[in-house]
Amino acid sequence: MAVYKRNYSAYTGSVTPVWTRVLVLARYAFDEAWSSKITVGLFIFCLIPCVLSLVVIYLADNPIARALVGARGPNLLAIDAGFFLKVLQTQSWLALVMASWIAPRLITFDLADNALPILLSHPISRVGYVFGKFIALFGSLSLITWIPCLLLFVYQGYSSAQPWAMSNLQIATGLLSGSVIWIAFLALLGLALSSWVKWRVVATGVIFAAVFLPAGVGGIVSAVLRTKWGLLLNIPVMMSNLWQRLLGVPEPINERLSVPTVAIAVMLSLACLVCVGMLNKRIRAREVVRG
Amino acid sequence: MGVIDLNGVEVRLGNRTVLNNLTGELNGHAIGLLGPNGAGKSTLINTLLGFHLPIKGDARVFGLDTHKDRAQIRGGIGFMPENDSFIGNMKGVRFVRYMAELAGLPTGVALERAHEALFYVGLGEVRYRKVNTYSLGMKQLVKLAQALAHGPKLLILDEPTNGLDPVARQRMIQLIKDIRKEGSIRLLISSHLLRDIDETCDEVLILKNGRIASLCNIEEERRSNRSFMELETVGATERFSVSIRGLGCECATFPGGRIKLVIPDHIEARDLYVIASEQGVQIRRMNQRRDSLEDIFLRAMDNDQGRTANGSL
Repeated sequence: MAVYKRNYSAYTGSVTPVWTRVLVLARYAFDEAWSSKITVGLFIFCLIPCVLSLVVIYLADNPIARALVGARGPNLLAIDAGFFLKVLQTQSWLALVMASWIAPRLITFDLADNALPILLSHPISRVGYVFGKFIALFGSLSLITWIPCLLLFVYQGYSSAQPWAMSNLQIATGLLSGSVIWIAFLALLGLALSSWVKWRVVATGVIFAAVFLPAGVGGIVSAVLRTKWGLLLNIPVMMSNLWQRLLGVPEPINERLSVPTVAIAVMLSLACLVCVGMLNKRIRAREVVRG
Repeated sequence: MGVIDLNGVEVRLGNRTVLNNLTGELNGHAIGLLGPNGAGKSTLINTLLGFHLPIKGDARVFGLDTHKDRAQIRGGIGFMPENDSFIGNMKGVRFVRYMAELAGLPTGVALERAHEALFYVGLGEVRYRKVNTYSLGMKQLVKLAQALAHGPKLLILDEPTNGLDPVARQRMIQLIKDIRKEGSIRLLISSHLLRDIDETCDEVLILKNGRIASLCNIEEERRSNRSFMELETVGATERFSVSIRGLGCECATFPGGRIKLVIPDHIEARDLYVIASEQGVQIRRMNQRRDSLEDIFLRAMDNDQGRTANGSL
């Protein structure tokens, strides 16, 4: 029917399967996230380290470049687990910056205008709503973490003179699993915190604070109680430990900077449960009835 | 199977029983939900949408359980909430399209229907503006457009005229009447304004303190009250009143050409005009009794036990 016909007509066509509604949410959330020029700018900025790493890999596999570097070559241009750990760490912390910018855009617009009663009155559950937003954020963060990291790995495997990729598969799996764990955690944390803060700028700050403030508290706990378990509140150290083990990089000799993998897994799981609890409390369709 | 079936529905929020043992079958084309603030109107709507789980009894929409089949029910419902509820950062057409896609329309169709719905409610010219730049009346209309876009079987309007000026209110009422007239959509309209319900609905459910105070068919009430009429005439009033007595009406005349009459079922207002025309009498004013809903509401509010009118329950 043409739009100039201003009569109401019932819809008699086909409808999409219910499970695809989550993808509708994800698509609109993705569009919302990337409609900002700042997001695009951040994305380009986040890819700079990857481009630099690409240059390093090219030089490392280039005989002339190696000859120019001379005796320092093997250490300076070594493409090994340590190199990829640095790439992963850089990209992961840039992902935090990206998440703290994008996550509030996905949730706070809905909350600020009380859109949840309308959104959830459609055939989509609260879990579906959060999952749709999660997919959009996880997808956005993937673009700057495991995807470029694995592309670098593939390029190194391709340009290396020796058969390199098969003998270093642990690096690839480490890059993938380390990135996925981190961005899944970040996405959940970002959505949970954004759901409790209506102002986007404040939400961005709160996400940073949630990652770095507990580290300070953990440091105080460690110092006062003379224990290393305060590190379990230190997300940067915990994640570094985890990434080192996943990529097979030798750990530092200082035992006080190391926590068991099981403890890290438990802490991350607990943090995720808290995030789910926060989302469960906040993502509700019920209206406030005034009067 | 009614449009809405309530079987002893009890809903508690915290320690408070908000809906208490609601039982009834609603079959009207346009069902009014009346009651003072806090009576449980919005809670009943939220229960029908599956947002609240009844602790006792069950509620059904088109025969589907509001909790077990909530996804299916929501697919066939258009909901216009009472308070501001939209995504202000989106353009009107994009917002309506988004909601239509969530309801299950394919992307292309959703866009087409979004344009149609916005034109239909009168927002065609402003559909490319962001929703947060709309006036209050426009925001109400965009909520109505998103509720209509996917072609629901049941349209739930929670206080649709809230905060509207008289012109905007009249426009909203006219839209609701048009939708009702179109016939493919059943309406559930919640309001605390008797006039809104009286103008748009044919069945009314009155809630008081979470209980059903009355459930009745307004059309039947109107029909039963149609017999009382008051006329203001100019001309040969006495002769005119004799003639209408001859039709079988009970009639009393008053100074100033005023006539009060009780007319039997088979007599229409048109018959009075015919006689007046034949006798050269001008009917300046004809007042048919229209306050039936107000009577029902006041009776329901006076009744602490929560009885039902017309013995519907």
